[in-house]
Amino acid sequence: MLENVKEEIQATLKKYPVKKSAVMDLLRIAQREAGGHLTREAMDEIAVLLEMQPVEVNAAAKFYTMYSVARPVGRHRIWVCRNISCSLMGSDHIMKHLEQALGVKKGETTSDKKFTLDVAECLGSCGTAPMMQIDDEFYENLDAKKIDGILKGFK
Amino acid sequence: MGLQPINPYKRYIMVTVKINGKEITVEDNTLILDAARDAGYEIPTFCYQADLMGIGSCRMCLVEIEGQKKLQPSCVTPVLHGISILTETPTVMSARASMLEFLLANHAMDCPVCDKGGECELQDMVYKYGPHKGRHAEPKFKFHEKDYALSPVIIKNSNRCVQCMKCVRVCREVVGRNVLGALGRGDHQEPTSFFRSFLDCDADGNCIEVCPVGCFMRLPYRYKTRPWDLKGADTICPYCATGCRMVIEHRDGEVIRARAQLGVGMNSETLCARGRFGYEIINSEARLTTPLVRRQRHGTLEPATWEEAFRIIKERMPSLGGNTVGGIAGARLATEELYLFQKLMREVFKTPNVDSGSRWDAAAVEGFIAATDMAEGGVSVFDCMEADTVFVIGSQVSEENPVTEYIIRRISAGRRMNVIIAGPRAMKLDSSANLLLRHYPAAEAALLSAVILDINAAKLAASADLTAAKDAKLDGHLKAAGLTIDDVRALATKLRNSESIAIMAGTEFLRYPHGIESLNLLKELLRSLGKKVRVMPLLDRSNQRGAWEMGVHPAFGPGYVKAPAPGLGISGMLDAAADNSMDALYIAGADPAALYPDEAHVKEALSKVRFLVVQDIFLTETARLADVVLPGASFAEKDGMLTNQEGRAQIIRKLLPPPGKAKVDLDIIRALGEMYDRSFGPKNAALVLDEIRRAQPMYADVSLAFNNKRNVDNKLDNKAALVKGTKAALTIRKFEQAASGQDAQYPFMLATGNHLFHSGRLTNYSKTLNDLMKGMTVEISEEDALASGLAAGERVLVSGAGFSVTLMLTVKKGTKRGVAFIAENFDAAPVNRFFRKGKGAPRVKITKA
Ligand code: SF4
Ligand code: SF4
Ligand code: SF4
Ligand code: FES
Ligand code: FES
Repeated sequence: MLENVKEEIQATLKKYPVKKSAVMDLLRIAQREAGGHLTREAMDEIAVLLEMQPVEVNAAAKFYTMYSVARPVGRHRIWVCRNISCSLMGSDHIMKHLEQALGVKKGETTSDKKFTLDVAECLGSCGTAPMMQIDDEFYENLDAKKIDGILKGFK
Repeated sequence: MGLQPINPYKRYIMVTVKINGKEITVEDNTLILDAARDAGYEIPTFCYQADLMGIGSCRMCLVEIEGQKKLQPSCVTPVLHGISILTETPTVMSARASMLEFLLANHAMDCPVCDKGGECELQDMVYKYGPHKGRHAEPKFKFHEKDYALSPVIIKNSNRCVQCMKCVRVCREVVGRNVLGALGRGDHQEPTSFFRSFLDCDADGNCIEVCPVGCFMRLPYRYKTRPWDLKGADTICPYCATGCRMVIEHRDGEVIRARAQLGVGMNSETLCARGRFGYEIINSEARLTTPLVRRQRHGTLEPATWEEAFRIIKERMPSLGGNTVGGIAGARLATEELYLFQKLMREVFKTPNVDSGSRWDAAAVEGFIAATDMAEGGVSVFDCMEADTVFVIGSQVSEENPVTEYIIRRISAGRRMNVIIAGPRAMKLDSSANLLLRHYPAAEAALLSAVILDINAAKLAASADLTAAKDAKLDGHLKAAGLTIDDVRALATKLRNSESIAIMAGTEFLRYPHGIESLNLLKELLRSLGKKVRVMPLLDRSNQRGAWEMGVHPAFGPGYVKAPAPGLGISGMLDAAADNSMDALYIAGADPAALYPDEAHVKEALSKVRFLVVQDIFLTETARLADVVLPGASFAEKDGMLTNQEGRAQIIRKLLPPPGKAKVDLDIIRALGEMYDRSFGPKNAALVLDEIRRAQPMYADVSLAFNNKRNVDNKLDNKAALVKGTKAALTIRKFEQAASGQDAQYPFMLATGNHLFHSGRLTNYSKTLNDLMKGMTVEISEEDALASGLAAGERVLVSGAGFSVTLMLTVKKGTKRGVAFIAENFDAAPVNRFFRKGKGAPRVKITKA
């Protein structure tokens, strides 16, 4: 499955003196290619490419919340920060509201495959808590009304 | 890093620290944990293990350092001169309790159904350090509902995990397989395989042994017992000459577990699959439990009493046999037994014909002993690992001596040194090497001669003639070995640049003895260049070295003292038998019919011996040919000594009585002797050992007491157990290389040796070990597989001159092209049928079956 991106992979490998070090990049590429999640096959392939054990690749992927291991996701991923500042500022309510608005529970994907709702630890934006990240953007100082507006903006 | 770098040239600086007010002096850089333990204070740990790199993750070992606000993990914090450490303050105690409370928050707490119950470190720790009440009311997080099998020997329950990562680390750092990973993070981190899939690994179970709780568990042992119902014996693994210390345990007469102990024996907590799961041979249904005799020529073997068996022996085995009687003793017998065996042959049967093992030529053995300096006393593997360069040659150490391999891997990762491996087959240890030389089977001589020439080149450079001669010679060697000049130069350079070198030489030198001379030459040459050279043999049979040192050899007696008149070795005895001139042969614990190269020859020879007595624990190929079969005892049924490849004399202990009417081999040998000479003895193992000590200077200081003590300080190298040196006059004969014949019809050269899961044919009686094997295999290189259009997993026909067999193909990256490997352990594929007496490495072809 990484056949289509051979060149990108070759270019990536060149960036690192040690093959193994490219694991994060390759995981990112593989996740993108599979439409947002990492398949077992892709990790196997990466292991062969980087001369690592498949379980090492798996361990790297499982450590980071950005990777979704063997779990298909929607077109957009929402991470609600639940760490201390956001929590004090009401991240629980934010989460509850999102769950209601989307009709899914934490960790699930909407039936139209539009959103996947996840939690994250501190995203480094405590000053504007409570906050969430959708795909690559931060949405800060949230409240219920604001969230409804944000969700509407997504196709 | 937790590993203490071992450096003979380092000057150790001592510092003074206070622990709980007590002043102690320790080496600089000692971990606080070790210092405190040395001072007699107990510090609980989960993730710390001396032979793994420290990760400081479990926080059980927190201590207070005066002047620092936060507690510090003592397992990764070295001492500083003058610091004061407190290990038992209320803060420390409450930190321990809190850590345990967190661990229990999601812990399964299913002790009543957990195999670890009763010997669980978490149980012990909570009992000792609390808390005795949990405050967590939330539902527990679970990784999975049911336990799952990870391999035929591993069953896993992640809900009990304390995330110490010892399993992952031991698999990576010690075993070198690296098939376990820590998936996820925090308390959701699960140490397991790739997608929890079934493992195709070394099945050594070291992950089980290091797991402090009931996460990694032995599948064959599951639900069989509680640990307090087990009775154990602290003994030595009998499956290779690494000589690992282990405890075997039985319940109601059935041995159900073998385990290693942290800080005990040179192996500490590690064993390989054979040691940990090979105990089933002890209770095997196939054990011989009664003497068997063949009452009529060409009749069948029938059960008999000891009296009848002995009467027949006395009738048919002449006591003044001289040259027509011989004895072969296996290198698995205990040292005392081997000593008595040669005494029986020499003094009672008055024959010089005695040899040990069934595979090596006696003259080759003598040369090998000389070349590897065995008569100069024991050489510790840990001392070898202090050298600048370790050079492994003639051994598939990853499969033949797995725990020796673990030691090489672990120590070489912690210090700057060269690891050089020469051999035809790729192996796991390759990843620890910084130089690999892939030569053809039986080409050790060519490789060594080439490197000797290259090292000597400086001396020869003066004369153009000599240089030309040298180059011609060198080319010949390179071609014979299948190496390039760059390979050999790289090796020569590394050797030249090292001050200390350890050569580990394996059994290939015995299979193809023409390499012995070059091995010795290289050793001498390096010494003449002022280098410190240690040589350590790598041997596959547990007591091979003991057998030789006890004089079970036609050319020398105990202590390598030259025999007055040398007798016949195994080859000589078989030739004599084939010639119809062998009256009687007594074979104890050896199976030449299965293992001697050239099966047809040995079977014919044995059937022509007029009277054949075989003593063993199973009805081996050889025993089937016998006139009288005597049932002996396994290692679990006797007390005695084994000398490992380093020359470490170690003790095996009796756990159970021999089954049925079987007897301890020492008693059989003695009773046999007494039949001819009432004064034959000594009468028991302890007295035999006394006699050995008096007769054999190398064993003068050997004691039954020293090596069964626990080394609390993780100093695994008990030097007192190494045998001493002696003056011996051993000769290294010149061996001609037997031609194996270049034949385009047979493109592969055959290499052989022990399989990772087996030791000779003995372990074939362990069901667990057999189940681990996915059938009998032949292994070739990736390139050859591709070139011949064969794929791994395919059935292939391997045929040589006169024998062919169907096997499953396995493919190995990095193995030399043109080399095929078949293990010598398969009953149904006796690899010795490919060999022809007097011929070199056999050649085979491989085709689709
Ligand atoms: S049995 Fe050995 S090789 Fe297999 S997972 Fe455990 S430690 Fe690793
Ligand atoms: S499975 Fe056992 S050894 Fe591995 S991390 Fe968990 S508790 Fe430690
Ligand atoms: S077979 Fe050798 S390496 Fe394996 S446990 Fe036994 S003595 Fe140790
Ligand atoms: S706690 Fe939410 S951004 Fe830091
Ligand atoms: S033992 Fe020190 S942190 Fe685990």
